[in-house]
Amino acid sequence: MAETTIELRNPSGLHARPAATFVKAAAGFKSDIRVTNLTRNPDKSAAAKSMLGVLGLGVSHGHTIRITAEGADADEAVNSLREMVEAGLGEAIGG
Amino acid sequence: MRTSLRGVAAAPGVARARIWRLPERSSEDASSGSGMGLEEAAERAATELESLQERLRSRGREEESEIFGAQAMMAQDPELLEAAQGAVEQGTPPEQAIRDAAERAATALAALDDELLAARAADVRDVAARIVRILRGEQPPRLEERSIAVALDLPPSITAELDPALLAGVALEAGSRTAHAAILSRALGIPAVVGARGLLEAAKDARDIAVDGGSGEVFLDPDDVTLAEIERRSAEASALAAADAALHDQPLQTADGHRVMLAANIGQPEDSQRAIDGGAEGVGLFRTEFMFMGRATAPDEATQTGAYAKVLESFGERPVVIRLIDLGGDKDLPYLPLPHEENPFLGVRALRLADAGHEDLLLTQLRAILAAGEHTGRQPWIMAPMVADLSDVYRLHELVAMAAFGRTLGVQPKVGIMVEIPSVALVAELVAPEVAFFSIGTNDLTQYLLAADRTNPGLAERQDPLHPAVLRAIAKVIEGGHAAGIPVAVCGEMAGDPAGAMALTGLGIDELSMDAGAFGAVKRALAGVSLNDLRGAVEHALHAESARDVRAIFDSMRAPERKAVG
Repeated sequence: MAETTIELRNPSGLHARPAATFVKAAAGFKSDIRVTNLTRNPDKSAAAKSMLGVLGLGVSHGHTIRITAEGADADEAVNSLREMVEAGLGEAIGG
Repeated sequence: MRTSLRGVAAAPGVARARIWRLPERSSEDASSGSGMGLEEAAERAATELESLQERLRSRGREEESEIFGAQAMMAQDPELLEAAQGAVEQGTPPEQAIRDAAERAATALAALDDELLAARAADVRDVAARIVRILRGEQPPRLEERSIAVALDLPPSITAELDPALLAGVALEAGSRTAHAAILSRALGIPAVVGARGLLEAAKDARDIAVDGGSGEVFLDPDDVTLAEIERRSAEASALAAADAALHDQPLQTADGHRVMLAANIGQPEDSQRAIDGGAEGVGLFRTEFMFMGRATAPDEATQTGAYAKVLESFGERPVVIRLIDLGGDKDLPYLPLPHEENPFLGVRALRLADAGHEDLLLTQLRAILAAGEHTGRQPWIMAPMVADLSDVYRLHELVAMAAFGRTLGVQPKVGIMVEIPSVALVAELVAPEVAFFSIGTNDLTQYLLAADRTNPGLAERQDPLHPAVLRAIAKVIEGGHAAGIPVAVCGEMAGDPAGAMALTGLGIDELSMDAGAFGAVKRALAGVSLNDLRGAVEHALHAESARDVRAIFDSMRAPERKAVG
């Protein structure tokens, strides 16, 4: 199992557009990928391939999320999703 | 029979056409007419939504296209479909199953203390409605002739399906200026009125409707006289719009070039773009109450930080004044149990909450503002309402210091006060050296000075900030502020009223902050007069008998064709 923890820097949080970018990317991997919003509720996770699940985590600016993956391409999935979140999921993010 | 209603002006223009009503969907489950399974219908819905997304994107309507992109992904959401499919296997009819599953997801989203995500709840329900329509084998709604859409609300999927060539206008019983249908109407250049209460009942038996998107009026089965009148107004409005466009790139200044800073009042981060497009040099008042209303718990620091950072980011180098929450006993918030007040405007509210057991509420907000400044590298301007005297100012500085404790600030905030309690206006010169700026809240200053309850419509005539006593108080505040070298602004409705803006400019105000919709009228008013003339008029105004006389002085200085509509 691969795992990473990262802070979301998008000014409006994980709203529709960046969430869509994230979910689409997750759907490209075979692994079972799950996301947890550690800031809001560390006990609740959602499938990274579910748009409603990801939106339902209510990830706001400055929240920390954990991404875990299990499967053949788990490492690749976690690394690539982490990089995408760091780069702002297609949005400009401030320092 | 002829009826007229007033709602919120959401997109300018005037139109009359046949009424088109949103087809009513029965909530009962008809036997599925399409013969399709749930999965196939969901797939079809996603395809429809993706092609809508493409169509809008190719027309440059990027913002709307993204809504459909998100909806397409919801339609294909594995968890949503699994939940619905599971219910179908238990014997629930497919239409009911998908609606139930969507409703659960929508409820979960609506419960989040995040404005933007909660708004997605409507999108999930909209997706379910689309899947149900496909299951039933029904066609998407369409216009047969030039029509005005009349509905409670128009979900994005409906407005996008309607042929823009036949859609002449929009009238909604619900919705706000930022509702999807309102944004679409402005993009299409068709008039829209939203929030017209009683519209559906009044329109029940009507055939035609006229909407005036400039005034917010709606007329059912209008007669020719009414029609001629609204067409005249529309022509006038477009002439003024042309005059405003000519002034759009000009700063706010008098005929002889005396500049006054033009700033915007905003209520939520989404208002920023409209203010910037209108030429705002900053935000003079960012009301933060929106984040605190209609929710079960207070918004946490991260949520608030996100909202403040968004606005600071949007305005870049331009100053943004964030007002600390102005909550009191007149607002019923589940997480802020306040005792009932006989006179909530004179009660425990805003800054006074800090000494009534709610210090944390203000500290969380202050920490979020400081964090937003750090995240964006922009200097936040913090403004406290309900400051009565110097000791309130010291209490404010103490709260800011407490919020900053343990934090190394790269950018220091500017800390200023709203001048609305008459006592602080009277001691302005004592307070000015201790703050970074003054912003006069003329609405409350007027109601306090004139002892006229703002919420009592029967006293409307007694609430005019052009009253000589209010002008004298403002003059004292400006004098005190300038003696200490700090800027003095007005962020009340007076700033956006052409006669008010003229009086304030004559008094020597540095900044006028108003709703972006008033920029044009205020620029026009100042462009027509010289500073000297305004100073002379102010001398008379300070000695006038009443607000009515003061108004007459400034109205007489405005060009006649501008007076009638300004």
